[in-house]
Amino acid sequence: MKIELKKFGTTLISRQAGRESFAAFQSTLSELKPNENLEIDFDGVITFSPSWGDEFLTPLLMQLGDRLMLLPSDNPSVKATLDILEQISKRRFKTSS
Amino acid sequence: MDENKLLRIKEAAEILGVSIDTLRRWDKSGKLVAIRKDGGVHRYYSEKDLEVFKSDLTKIAYEWLETKSELPATFYCSNSAVFQARLITMQNQLAQMPRVSNIFSLIVAIAGEIGNNSFDHNLGKWPDVPGIFFGYNLEKGMIVLADRGLGVLYTLKRVRPELQNHTEAVKVAFTEIITGRAPEERGNGLKFVREIVEKNPISIFFRSGDAELRLANPDKELRITRSHLTTPGCLAIIEF
Repeated sequence: MKIELKKFGTTLISRQAGRESFAAFQSTLSELKPNENLEIDFDGVITFSPSWGDEFLTPLLMQLGDRLMLLPSDNPSVKATLDILEQISKRRFKTSS
Repeated sequence: MDENKLLRIKEAAEILGVSIDTLRRWDKSGKLVAIRKDGGVHRYYSEKDLEVFKSDLTKIAYEWLETKSELPATFYCSNSAVFQARLITMQNQLAQMPRVSNIFSLIVAIAGEIGNNSFDHNLGKWPDVPGIFFGYNLEKGMIVLADRGLGVLYTLKRVRPELQNHTEAVKVAFTEIITGRAPEERGNGLKFVREIVEKNPISIFFRSGDAELRLANPDKELRITRSHLTTPGCLAIIEF
């Protein structure tokens, strides 16, 4: 399953918005098959921040582990945010091309 | 804009988003002096004077922190939804500026982290005025954010009770990764800010309580000092 983050907005910056997005995503997530990967597509996101990411990506990482796959992004705010989220959670995100 | 055009006090109040009484008070105190035509009693304001007044972001933010002065509506975000909307406006303007084309998303992200920190840490706990100051002058490359909230020391003491003063708290906020979400799930936004500022042509001044932090060129060394002045909440000046 692939999820386009831009569907949650193109400026993803607050904890509150991250929590709301995560809650809204639960119904879609329940359709993920037991061995299926979840791909995260950052395409179209303009600004991404750790507050939003910590509320959305971190719980997914804890829940899915290696089944969470991040698609590559050239956006500097995406790269910097993923870096700090890995430092906080002490876990690495798996990336795919 | 006709810089010499004189505006009536009501028009000036609307432009600045403050009350007429506030403008009268500012005139008396010298904060924003009105013009009087040939010794008349009515107060007038030139558009140029209003622009100059609004451009002094740092002064307006400091005065708000020190004296709880009334804020021009253009700078006041009463809740996070207002802040989010204005941040997106700023993002769209920055995206049009060639000199920051590679880093504008980072600038927006750090301003967003600092502004949202204010709301996240103080929601339901604002000591007096809720909300934040958010002003920017993109031509000058300056963004100013401030809040009259509880400040970094109070917030971090919940997870680091051993913290003794504002300088220690600000240092921890900018340098140490805090893991574990309870009871304080936040607290890593300022580390993100530091990492971005260190690696990019951006500088920051941050103060909370009597602690002042500077992270700027040429060496981007984190300098934290104690000021003689203690202000409530936080103040951040981002320059790029």
